[in-house]
Amino acid sequence: MEAPPQPSTQQQSECPFPTLETLDPSAPHVFIRPVKQINDGPDVARFLTSKAYRDIGIFVLQLSRAMCPRKSKGEDGKDKIHTFLIGSEYETQPAESVRGLQQMLAKIEAFIDEAPPHQGPRRFGNTSFRTWYQLLQAQVTALLQEHLPESVLRHSSGGSGQGSTAQVELETYLLGAFGSAQRLDYGTGHELSFLAFLGCLWKLGAFKDGNPNGDIERYIVLGAFEPYLRVVRRLIITYTLEPAGTHGVWGLDDHSFQSYIYGSAQLTRAISETEAMPLEGSLFRAPKPSSIVKAEYVEEERKRYMYFSAVGFINDVKKGPFWEHSPILFDISGIKDGWGKINKGMIKMFNAEVLSKFPVVQHFYFGSLFSWDQDPDAATPPQSAHIASQQSTLSSMPPPPSGAARPWAQATNPTSRPQKLQREPHPVNEAFRATQAPWAKSSDRPSG
Amino acid sequence: MFIFPQICGDIHGQFHDLMELFRVGGNPPDTNYLFMGDFVDRGFYSLESFLLLLCLKVRYPDRMTLIRGNHESRQITTVYGFYDECLRKYGSANVWRYCCDVFDYLALGAIVLGASNTLEPTNEAAPREDVEIEVCNADGDAISHFGRRGKTGGNGQGSPNGRTDQTGPPGSGASGSSGGTAGNPVGAVLCVHGGLSPLIDTVDKIRLLDRKQEVPHEGAMCDLLWSDPDEIDGWGLSPRGAGFLFGADIVKMFNHRNDLSLIARAHQLVMEGFKEMFDASIVTVWSAPNYCYRCGNVAAVLELSEDPGGQGFFARSNGDVGRSDGGVSRGVLLDSDGSSKRGPARRYRVFQAAPQDSRGMPAKKPVADYFL
Repeated sequence: MEAPPQPSTQQQSECPFPTLETLDPSAPHVFIRPVKQINDGPDVARFLTSKAYRDIGIFVLQLSRAMCPRKSKGEDGKDKIHTFLIGSEYETQPAESVRGLQQMLAKIEAFIDEAPPHQGPRRFGNTSFRTWYQLLQAQVTALLQEHLPESVLRHSSGGSGQGSTAQVELETYLLGAFGSAQRLDYGTGHELSFLAFLGCLWKLGAFKDGNPNGDIERYIVLGAFEPYLRVVRRLIITYTLEPAGTHGVWGLDDHSFQSYIYGSAQLTRAISETEAMPLEGSLFRAPKPSSIVKAEYVEEERKRYMYFSAVGFINDVKKGPFWEHSPILFDISGIKDGWGKINKGMIKMFNAEVLSKFPVVQHFYFGSLFSWDQDPDAATPPQSAHIASQQSTLSSMPPPPSGAARPWAQATNPTSRPQKLQREPHPVNEAFRATQAPWAKSSDRPSG
Repeated sequence: MFIFPQICGDIHGQFHDLMELFRVGGNPPDTNYLFMGDFVDRGFYSLESFLLLLCLKVRYPDRMTLIRGNHESRQITTVYGFYDECLRKYGSANVWRYCCDVFDYLALGAIVLGASNTLEPTNEAAPREDVEIEVCNADGDAISHFGRRGKTGGNGQGSPNGRTDQTGPPGSGASGSSGGTAGNPVGAVLCVHGGLSPLIDTVDKIRLLDRKQEVPHEGAMCDLLWSDPDEIDGWGLSPRGAGFLFGADIVKMFNHRNDLSLIARAHQLVMEGFKEMFDASIVTVWSAPNYCYRCGNVAAVLELSEDPGGQGFFARSNGDVGRSDGGVSRGVLLDSDGSSKRGPARRYRVFQAAPQDSRGMPAKKPVADYFL
């Protein structure tokens, strides 16, 4: 690979598209053992002005934009289009850092063979998943040490930091990324934890072995995130992990969200390196959004496109008419303005239905890298009714429209349209079968 | 015509499967029905399912009983889908709001009196005196019988779960300890969505609750709709964050005190459609096949038979009328003398998800605002 990227400060000043900052490797950094901070509905509002929230937003947008096809002038003066596909060299010949993650994921997946599912009678989720999880817990330190560079794990640590290390923060997010051993479920909150794991690695400089112009992000998404999703899907099927989508058919997907963000970006109209993420339009000759309802078409395209890969997994686990068990995806497939429009919508929806939802983010851990500290530049969020009502009043009617767009939602929403009709978003990360009381505090519940 | 209701568990908006349930159990109003709540949320057709049941209730009030589940609540339906469904289908929350107002009037429980020890014959078999439990397929053909414990014969069929008869009737495969009834003879059957409450020691206390309200976060009304039986002693904290877990001792004590032979409840997915626990003192009935389009479970309805003597009122509960001797002479709680106890005979009609091929694809609806 090429030379390491410039320091992030320089990137940020020159690049209109923000990327997650990296720590200065020479400056000591105070690591913190991550803890949960969101204990009550109002804490969600506080989260939405935190540095962690800002960083998650930056990182998701950064990865999403990197997945958008690129165009460049060829030698013959014609536009050349580059697309970034599952199974391409981004996955098969990754940067060293990403190769290490692939090897680590392969070992994590192999724990499944050591914890075969119980064959006996059971209600639904297979308790052998707990055995699998114990294997991961027991091995996580060794796994990180084996597959990540010493310089990342032993990032210089400043004095009084409770003796915590980068490795401790990394382990927290990695352990949180594969579902809840207690509830035997998996949902978007766990997926978010894996994103945070990758984000920590980014901040620690683990991905400086790739070209910072989007290449390294593509390695991360296609070389690490999609393989991660494959491991998770195998876990879900092997241990019949319960979908965490609470709202039944009225949620986007029982388990995953980010696959639809990066997947729609993959199919969006090609851009030059200086262009912003398109708000509509599709890659020339891309599969049409409406084709997701054709199972045989999905079977073919799931090999290349993350969106189809995600839909293909739904087809694997669900029986029944697609429009009935996945009506939200079905309706989205009728969008006429192309994958760019879908990508923009997915990001807004992710912000509202994952990051702004108490049942999801209550399980998120905050350390030094994803910090509970206030983001000094954060706009004060309006006391959005849906946040307040998540915990508080029983008599609350469905909350009125959510508040103004978050700072990073505006990045995709330059017109800043008032979201006055926005659907009431709902919590995403509840055990789907055993209904849980939404008013229960996280401390009352088994947590993942 | 069956006088006794088919007792049904969760539906969760699976309208086509509800139609299948009526095909299997018999069409209303010729067959009576008792639904133990959770009509809405999760599935695509919550509104259609609930409104159909409500129409039947209005048209045939004495042949249709609807009791409230934990999902018949404003707060839960905003989280688990019904609210979204109404908004998607109507563009406003009014329909949802009116439905929630109706939820407040649903009963919290129901008592079925005068069930018989013997089953009415199915379409293929003569009545068998010694049969306590019969499992039928969707066409009404008996696929297995289970005899009374302590009696000879009738016990050799094995369980459809593939376990031996030593472990008791079908549906108990997961962890049930069912080995035949230990209840009172021809006692009443209490139907409730979730289970028991530490605040409720007699059925009459349910009657005293002011139920016309949103389901509270705690208290007796909440517990009835949220609790689960579990293999514990006494009471335990529920992982759901509402209601409690309760053990066999609690159930047996409650049944004894209230002259009940059985508690029928829903609330938990059971792969086999039903599951008897605690010496068949409580049964979970689940009526949503292939739950959430993916669980691969079958569904069941529970059918009881009327006591041929027609004297069901004899078993009036709560100790006020026709109170039995409370099992003092029979040692109910000690579970000692199996031959003298005869709970109601139970027939489970097991069925699968409705075939899908007849359902056409609808037009796409406008997308959520995120995508505008």
